[in-house]
Amino acid sequence: MTRKGLWVINIVVLVSLLGCMAMIYSLSAKPANFMLSCSSELFNHEVGVADSEHYLLVDLVSKDGLAQINYRYYDLQGNSAGTISMAGKVNKVDTQRQMFDIAVTTKQENVGLKGQEKPEHYEYLSYISGIHLNKNGQHSLSVQVLERDDTKDYAIVLFQPSNTVCGCRLVH
Amino acid sequence: MQLGHCRFDISKGELINQETGVVWHLPRAELRVLTLLVEYQGKVVAKPLLESGHDDDSHFSSASVARAIFTLRSFLGPQYETLIETVKGQGYLLRHHRARKAPDNPGVNISKPLVFALLVVTGLAGILMASLWWFNQSSEAIIPAQPLSLETVPLASGQQVELVLYSPSKTNNELLVEQSQQFIQGLQLCSVTIWSRVFLSLSHDKQVLNITLRGDHYGQSLIRNLKISDLRQPKQFVTPQWLAQLNICSTSNGRTPLAAQAQETNQ
Repeated sequence: MTRKGLWVINIVVLVSLLGCMAMIYSLSAKPANFMLSCSSELFNHEVGVADSEHYLLVDLVSKDGLAQINYRYYDLQGNSAGTISMAGKVNKVDTQRQMFDIAVTTKQENVGLKGQEKPEHYEYLSYISGIHLNKNGQHSLSVQVLERDDTKDYAIVLFQPSNTVCGCRLVH
Repeated sequence: MQLGHCRFDISKGELINQETGVVWHLPRAELRVLTLLVEYQGKVVAKPLLESGHDDDSHFSSASVARAIFTLRSFLGPQYETLIETVKGQGYLLRHHRARKAPDNPGVNISKPLVFALLVVTGLAGILMASLWWFNQSSEAIIPAQPLSLETVPLASGQQVELVLYSPSKTNNELLVEQSQQFIQGLQLCSVTIWSRVFLSLSHDKQVLNITLRGDHYGQSLIRNLKISDLRQPKQFVTPQWLAQLNICSTSNGRTPLAAQAQETNQ
């Protein structure tokens, strides 16, 4: 075999090795860490009853592939109306499209004061996540960043499959 | 038999230069000498043996043997002429040829099966790598949602507010569109507002309407999220009375004093 042929083989082997290294890096790369803090005003239109209002604070933390989502509910006076804490892992990250796929595996719920009305959103979230966790062992959701400005510390995100748009603060 | 870059074909009595393709049909003396040297490779072949003939009674002179050695070395070339070594006072010796030790080897002999195996391994590694890449790409292919519609709402002052709708479905969006029209009507009652962009989305079960308002105030971004649940039929998430309570025409932070106070307490 000529020297030229050997160089071709050497280059092919080298490119393959570099490709394998890049693949191993991409597979083992840890997802991006971020923290979002979203506050919402909750309204509940009911038949024959005055509209009830609550506030909801959602903290979404992703760190080293683990995810923590805390839903904290308050009434208009600032009293706690319940909390739902979810924990799981970040399954997939598409940094190019700014999308994150989260699988919640555990949750903990705390109701507010005794006799206090629970927000409709709390009831709904508790019910849906409970069904998914009991049936599949996990409650899946994805977060898609629709708009983001790091200089102004905000991001508009879309939660799926609930199809919920939410404006959040980027916490550094 | 390989001698440097030459191949010795004993049956045909030829020495072939594999680089240039020159074939030398060896004369009797050269053939006899080289055959004996090959036969006793690594050992000294005495001059009397080299001078003796083969089957016939022929005999070579000492000068003929010396000339044969000279021409053989010449054909092997300066790179490999030292393969035939003169052992003073005794005779000649053909050294074992080692291609690796050649000082300036133009080509390295690698067996074809080894090259084939190397190429197969490289090919398999490439296929494995491509499969891993494809699997990685396909498993991470989360399809991003696209807005259902993007509309610009002009206000009386000439200010324009963008309205973006998000829906999990491309069909059956009457409720979302209807509620967005309600919101636009309420928004158009404002001469001016601090909000520049509004996002509307209806939950997949159509029980919750989400409205996100975004604006800027002295270079600071403002965000307000509204989540409206309505278990009634027909649903009326957005009503003129409810919009009036929201104070969306505000040019400050948009929140009512009570709401702002409650949120600050919680945060």
